[in-house]
Amino acid sequence: MTSQADFVRPPRIAIWLVKLFASAEEESILGDLLEEYSNLALKSGVAFARRWYWRQAVKTIAHLGGTGFRGAPWSTAAAVIGGFLLLRFVSRLPEKILSAVTDRYLAFWSTHFKAYIWMLNGMSIEHLIGAMFVGYVVALAAKGREMIATMTLALVLCALIGAAFVWVATHRPMDVTWMLWSCADPFAIVIGGAIVRMRRSAAATLRLPVRNLHR
Amino acid sequence: MSSRDYLGEFEHIIVLALLRLEDRAYGVTVRQEIEIRTKREVSIGAVYATLDRLESKGYVKSHLGDPTPERGGRSKRFFRVTAKGVAAVNRTQRALVSMTEGLDLIRSYS
Repeated sequence: MTSQADFVRPPRIAIWLVKLFASAEEESILGDLLEEYSNLALKSGVAFARRWYWRQAVKTIAHLGGTGFRGAPWSTAAAVIGGFLLLRFVSRLPEKILSAVTDRYLAFWSTHFKAYIWMLNGMSIEHLIGAMFVGYVVALAAKGREMIATMTLALVLCALIGAAFVWVATHRPMDVTWMLWSCADPFAIVIGGAIVRMRRSAAATLRLPVRNLHR
Repeated sequence: MSSRDYLGEFEHIIVLALLRLEDRAYGVTVRQEIEIRTKREVSIGAVYATLDRLESKGYVKSHLGDPTPERGGRSKRFFRVTAKGVAAVNRTQRALVSMTEGLDLIRSYS
């Protein structure tokens, strides 16, 4: 049985996506969408209202993404370039140190093969955490445009990875594991950006009652 | 900002919607007014992106209303057109009228 609270609840994923992109306007946009969604659900049914909500959410994200980038193209570009340099030179450092250690003690690993496999898995996980850290830093730098900056960096990486795939495919045999791990980088960067955005969104929501009290 | 700045197409539509709605102008009513009158589906994101731009130009002002339960405890953000905004919409309107003067649009170009 559907309760009244469930009846008027819009799709959670759509709400989450709008929250990620609507920084300053989050409260007003979500309030407006909920108000119209509730009226539509009562008038035309939940299925219709849900379709309408998704359509509005997708269009809203596209608009906010576009205007966010056009509003501050240079600061967004600076955050993206900074993130790219960070990814290229800093986030790979722990991986290089671990590789140097494993290479130095090859004799030890030959007698402790399981530990060696664990070490390799740890390096793969560290690789992902490094990319996520870069996304986190880029989002911190691009305040109010967290998702735009991290998604731009992810798209730039995707383009470079695509070009690298084409080059590798034409010059040497394909390494599927390498391909998969390369694709995980942009994804981890966007996750890092989403974490910062959600933290800021939660902090802004906590501040709202205080603002209303002072009005 | 130059005193000869004109409003863009969607900016023009939004300012006219705010003038029509007077003190009832907030996201939902603005979006619905545009949809009813222009017969085109408008996203709430497009409305807010344009309103933000107009506010940064000084053409509109906004204030928050009280939080309401049907909006999940969120406040409405009400908008109104400033004197500068009225001047801009008049300027744009005059430019459009001047450009279309003498043209028989329906007969010549349909």
